[in-house]
Amino acid sequence: MARVYNWQIGREMSYWYPERRSKKQFAAVFDTNKCIACQTCTLACKTTWTSGKGQEYMLWNNVETKPYGFYPLGWDVNLLEKLGAQNWDGQRYAGQTIFEAAQAGERVLGWRPDDIDYANPNVGEDDCVNAVDRGAYFSGVHNSWFFYLARICNHCTYPACLSSCPRASIYKRPEDGIVLIDQGRCRGYQECVKACPYKKTFYNAMTGTSEKCIACYPKIELGMQPQCFVNCIGKIRFAGWISKPENARADNPIDFLVHVKKVALPLFPQFGLEPNVYYIPPLNVPREFLVQMFGPNVDGALETYRNAPRDKDLSGLLTLFGSTELIVAKWKRVEEQIMGYDDSGREIIRVPLREPTHVRQAFDAARGVARTNIS
Amino acid sequence: MKVRDFVLPAAVFFAATLAGCAKKEPPASDSEVKAVFEKTLPSTVEDKIWQRAPLHTAKLLLQDMVEPRLMQASTSFVRVQSVTDGRNIAFRLSWNDATVDDVPGPGRFGDACAVQLPASTTADVPAPQMGEEGRPVEITYWSAIFQAVVNGRKDDISAIYPRVKVDHYPFEAPSLKPGSAAQQEMAKRYAPARSLGNPMAGPRKVPVQDLLAEGPGTIRQAEKSLSSGSGKYSQGGWSVLLVRPLPGGIQAGGRTQAAFAIWEGSHQEAGSRKMRTVWIPLSLGSAK
Repeated sequence: MARVYNWQIGREMSYWYPERRSKKQFAAVFDTNKCIACQTCTLACKTTWTSGKGQEYMLWNNVETKPYGFYPLGWDVNLLEKLGAQNWDGQRYAGQTIFEAAQAGERVLGWRPDDIDYANPNVGEDDCVNAVDRGAYFSGVHNSWFFYLARICNHCTYPACLSSCPRASIYKRPEDGIVLIDQGRCRGYQECVKACPYKKTFYNAMTGTSEKCIACYPKIELGMQPQCFVNCIGKIRFAGWISKPENARADNPIDFLVHVKKVALPLFPQFGLEPNVYYIPPLNVPREFLVQMFGPNVDGALETYRNAPRDKDLSGLLTLFGSTELIVAKWKRVEEQIMGYDDSGREIIRVPLREPTHVRQAFDAARGVARTNIS
Repeated sequence: MKVRDFVLPAAVFFAATLAGCAKKEPPASDSEVKAVFEKTLPSTVEDKIWQRAPLHTAKLLLQDMVEPRLMQASTSFVRVQSVTDGRNIAFRLSWNDATVDDVPGPGRFGDACAVQLPASTTADVPAPQMGEEGRPVEITYWSAIFQAVVNGRKDDISAIYPRVKVDHYPFEAPSLKPGSAAQQEMAKRYAPARSLGNPMAGPRKVPVQDLLAEGPGTIRQAEKSLSSGSGKYSQGGWSVLLVRPLPGGIQAGGRTQAAFAIWEGSHQEAGSRKMRTVWIPLSLGSAK
């Protein structure tokens, strides 16, 4: 095992391979507060990539209701229980990562779902914590809660799938950090399925190999965001590139949200993979639950997010979510205008901080009809 | 003594002797695998030739040298017999197994076995753990999952989950003529491993694979598929026939080494999680 630095847990840790970061790292920010679990992302992915034989129950992208939704069943709670105490000492994780907690003979602490665990992708959907009494109404305090968690492969800096493969069939592309399973080399041992804590590698019984989210790399190579991003109805997703914290640039949208504003947080950073999908945590969910899921910086992230209406830069950048199919590598706000630029510096999108409001008269005198405002 | 008192025990003795003849135990070979010379190689695990081929019982060890390791022993020994015709060599491997595991799926693994030989016969052999860099080993691998498909199980999800209901596969759209070039091309697009020619992905005509390795984790498909074989489950165990060409530099009357591995599917064994032997001397008989 090598020693590598994982900034998300604020310390060095053990990993199967030495630290070798990609030239660029694919990353994303998901705003959980905007997700309505319409599953359009799931279908966009499904119809693009997993309509083949053996992929019937395979969802590279899924949206589950937390805390009672899981795909596959119990993917997170099973591992959380195995991992034991996960305490933080400020910004430094004091517990063990899944690499450090690996049992004898294993490279990673993991578990392997049964086929039946994939059979109910909508288990727990819309189930909320605490019963809602008859006649209950909202009075400013959320006594009952759930939220939607959209998930894809995290294209981790330290992928557990990659480290677990005994024949190195999984690789991380040096040019963009996307993690792929070599379909010509994989022999279907399912070690990666056991090792990935997010359970985002899947065994295909018809091809005898494991398969996973490819971050729509043919689109990425053309400077475009993946299918699940551009089809998102709620515009909750934003794809781009992330830097190491010490190299963060405020004009890089992902860096700005993750490193500068610290409003978007990694999913289960304590597992130790340095996952590269970052979540703006949901409001109105008990703090303890969020800290376990997103780490110790939940309070700050939520405060920043609540203040977004008064923060023109943050709210400005959030308006770029879902505004273009292209990847915004750089951004700038000038007064009430937000501009997005591609890798070459070409302006690819310009949006107003606030859309102009038009009030339509209820009666159209020109046509002699009354109109109803529907949205 | 009445005649009846004599006839009955005599009949029992005679029948028992006959049964013994029909199920003649092959001679034992404790120290090595002896490949007897035959003009014709056996074509099944039941071939009568096997009654003449010495039986070597090889103790199986945990693969606990490289991660991921097998930490809990499963199959304890494999019985090995061998026959050569001077060009090819046949192995008959049999081992006890309480369960038939031949269905693939998430968390499901197939029973399997393999024979390993040094790619070239020299005075010393490469490391028994799948050879070493520059000193490859040749592996003939048999899988119960492959065998089930060769035996006629449909290569389709409905063969694994009989009640499955699939709405639609894009490559089976009514607009595509089944079996047409356009339809085949589209089907490949939805099975990347198959379109890349990954031998795990099928289509499959034989239940064995010819593989090469130069150390743990380096297994790859041999340039040519030359091996054949078949496996059969009966009486609480598998019997598998593997036939392959003799490796380079060895001929009838020569000596080399062989190693064997067994994977127990119900124990979630695959890849490096297996029971294996050390190198075992292999002597080849010759025409008298």
